[in-house]
Amino acid sequence: MALPIRYSLRNALVRWRSTIATVLGIALVVFVFVLLQSLAAGIEKSSGNTGDPRNIMVVRKGSTAESASLIGRQNLQDIRYLPEIARNANGEPVISADVLVLVNLPRRNNGGEANVLLRGLTPRGMELRPQVHLTAGRWFEPGKREVVVSAKLARRFANFDIGQTFKSGSATLTVVGWLEGGGSAFDSECWLDADECRSLFERDMYSSFLIRPTDATAGEKLIARIEADRRFKLKAEKEVDYYRKQTMTAAPIKWLGNFLAVTMSIGAVFAAMNTMYAAVGSRTREIGTLRVLGFRRRAVIVALLLEGGFLALLGGVLGCAIAFYWNGYTTATMGMETFSEIVFEFRVTPKLVIEGLIFAVTVGLIGTLLPAIRAARLPVIAALKSL
Amino acid sequence: MNLPGFIVRNAFRNKRRFALSVSSVAASLFLLITLQVALRELTNPINDEGSSLRIIVRNKVSLAQPLPARQLQVLDKIPGIVTVSPFSFFGGLYKGDEKFTSFAQFAVDPKRTLPLLADAKIPKEQLDAWIADQTSCIVGQMTVDRYGLKIGDRLQFTGQIYPCDLDLKIVGIYHGTADDRNLMFHQKYLDELLGNPGTVGTWWVRAASVAEAPLVTDRINKAFANSSAEVRAESERAFVLGFVSMWANIKTLIGGISIVVIFALLLVTVSTMSMAIRERFRELAILKAIGFRRRELFAFVLAESFGLAMCGAVLGAGGAWVIFHSINIQKLTNGLFVMFEVTPKMMGLAFSVAALLGVLAAIAPMFTVARTSVVQGLKTLD
Repeated sequence: MALPIRYSLRNALVRWRSTIATVLGIALVVFVFVLLQSLAAGIEKSSGNTGDPRNIMVVRKGSTAESASLIGRQNLQDIRYLPEIARNANGEPVISADVLVLVNLPRRNNGGEANVLLRGLTPRGMELRPQVHLTAGRWFEPGKREVVVSAKLARRFANFDIGQTFKSGSATLTVVGWLEGGGSAFDSECWLDADECRSLFERDMYSSFLIRPTDATAGEKLIARIEADRRFKLKAEKEVDYYRKQTMTAAPIKWLGNFLAVTMSIGAVFAAMNTMYAAVGSRTREIGTLRVLGFRRRAVIVALLLEGGFLALLGGVLGCAIAFYWNGYTTATMGMETFSEIVFEFRVTPKLVIEGLIFAVTVGLIGTLLPAIRAARLPVIAALKSL
Repeated sequence: MNLPGFIVRNAFRNKRRFALSVSSVAASLFLLITLQVALRELTNPINDEGSSLRIIVRNKVSLAQPLPARQLQVLDKIPGIVTVSPFSFFGGLYKGDEKFTSFAQFAVDPKRTLPLLADAKIPKEQLDAWIADQTSCIVGQMTVDRYGLKIGDRLQFTGQIYPCDLDLKIVGIYHGTADDRNLMFHQKYLDELLGNPGTVGTWWVRAASVAEAPLVTDRINKAFANSSAEVRAESERAFVLGFVSMWANIKTLIGGISIVVIFALLLVTVSTMSMAIRERFRELAILKAIGFRRRELFAFVLAESFGLAMCGAVLGAGGAWVIFHSINIQKLTNGLFVMFEVTPKMMGLAFSVAALLGVLAAIAPMFTVARTSVVQGLKTLD
């Protein structure tokens, strides 16, 4: 016969003073795990959220990111009039040749410097990225050295308020608007006119092409054509696929999260063991009585495991709750691909919460197993006699 | 039985709990040290003799923006400069590596490179061979060991930044710098592959003396002010710290996690100590009854708690020291971490945390002991 679950739950709660440290300890382990994984999830979500499934992105073969890609001007002439590319109302091909420039700029409040990604693009390029819209100010006018910065970057970098100017090398740019990319990678970019960008930063080459094919089959054909043509040395893929792969930054964070979780959980298991050994020790007589009453060893073990698991679950819930406090909080680091500041949010996903809880319960069960077995093995008579 | 003996025996009375508590303190301190070491590795530039003399000149716009090669003539005339060479980070993918190549490839001027790598040692004939052959390269000892390379091998690199690929022959192996990983090849070879664009990535400069280095830095910055390619010249240390600044919030995050770890550790130890004392109420009451004073009882509790924390520190921090000194961290992390050095300062931190922990953990039980009267204590059943 099994002991009632209430027996385990109430036992866990009645000695709350001695168990609270264990619960908090497990909570902290789960908190660190969930928080770090939510960072990685935020980076993945931001890049997974970027792009239009109809668009095709072309970069130089071998380059890991747009910002590290260089494409000669001749390639634009060769590709521009391919039949697979859609035309707009004026009969122009819908292709944007962008130039990406990294500029080193100071953060607000003397927070050091970091690279910001400037994207020089044409009106076509803006039409191809409907995710991006203005939140304040107006769009840039070509020829006036104007730039529209991401609103999220504006909160982090000096001189990014509307009307302010910043200097980079010999170029001075005026901020005329803030853009918003709807939680995509565009939230980490600043936009200006393509030709102006190329002349200001003396860039002869382009960085990438973004193309809208006439339809999906034409898109496949275009990708195959560009990839096969040996003249080009270019890599073409769907824009969404390109961005989905830009998650190198998340990998070390994930690794760190797992490493910390494992190491810290060793400490947490020891703490849980300590608590449960003490719990068993102080209830020796009670456990003896249960055995005399006819409860089997198995029942005692199950009851104690439930108790330990429940304690750990409390810790897990608490840890997730603390981590959830940071959910949606915007943070930034250097992107490994773009080499520039990328802005993203902590994302405590349901999957992470479940992983955190499973993790907590596992720690609790491992910590309880040995004390439970010891309790079940106690000789009944000796247990009854003990004070 | 003397007093220290009494304390030691008490501590070991419940061997299992003692072992568990010490292990949990040790695990946490091990983690604390690991985090500190990793943080130091990410944020602290590698220092060698040459690093205080080296000045790195990059485009003011950003590191990704090239510099005109014609700047060399101006640099050569600046007083206080011993040597200057282009250092263009090629950032290629080594054939066989799928995503990430753990060593950098720099395009340099071979005749001017060696003084820039202060402690680098390379046989004279290898250096001459490198200077003579435009498609040859020299490689650091660490990379040679890691990939099992030898002189005469050919290496292919796919350009991830530059629109060209490299095919290089190893003619020399150097060692003796703080980070013997880099590969160096001819800037001229890169220029030819790119069709002579007349640009370089950065300039590396060696100043005549440490005292003169800041002056040289100023002179370089002024020499190109208001030119079409303004530069940022800075000491190697400032340059590396510039990188660190880009990690932004991640740095703060690791620091924050270290604090969480310390806090978790505190919780565990405090709970263990209070458990140990609570179990012994009756005994402490008897000690009180036979004439031990409160002060002496405090000493018992404190000594035990302190001893426990210190055992944990020796095991955890000492273990970290031994492990990180004996394993090859470079191999283990694919070259992500190179030094992974446990500094005396970190050991000091770990032991101070442990000491603090030992004292703090004793406070709560002390209060309980102080409050409990002899009669109350004697009445307590476990």
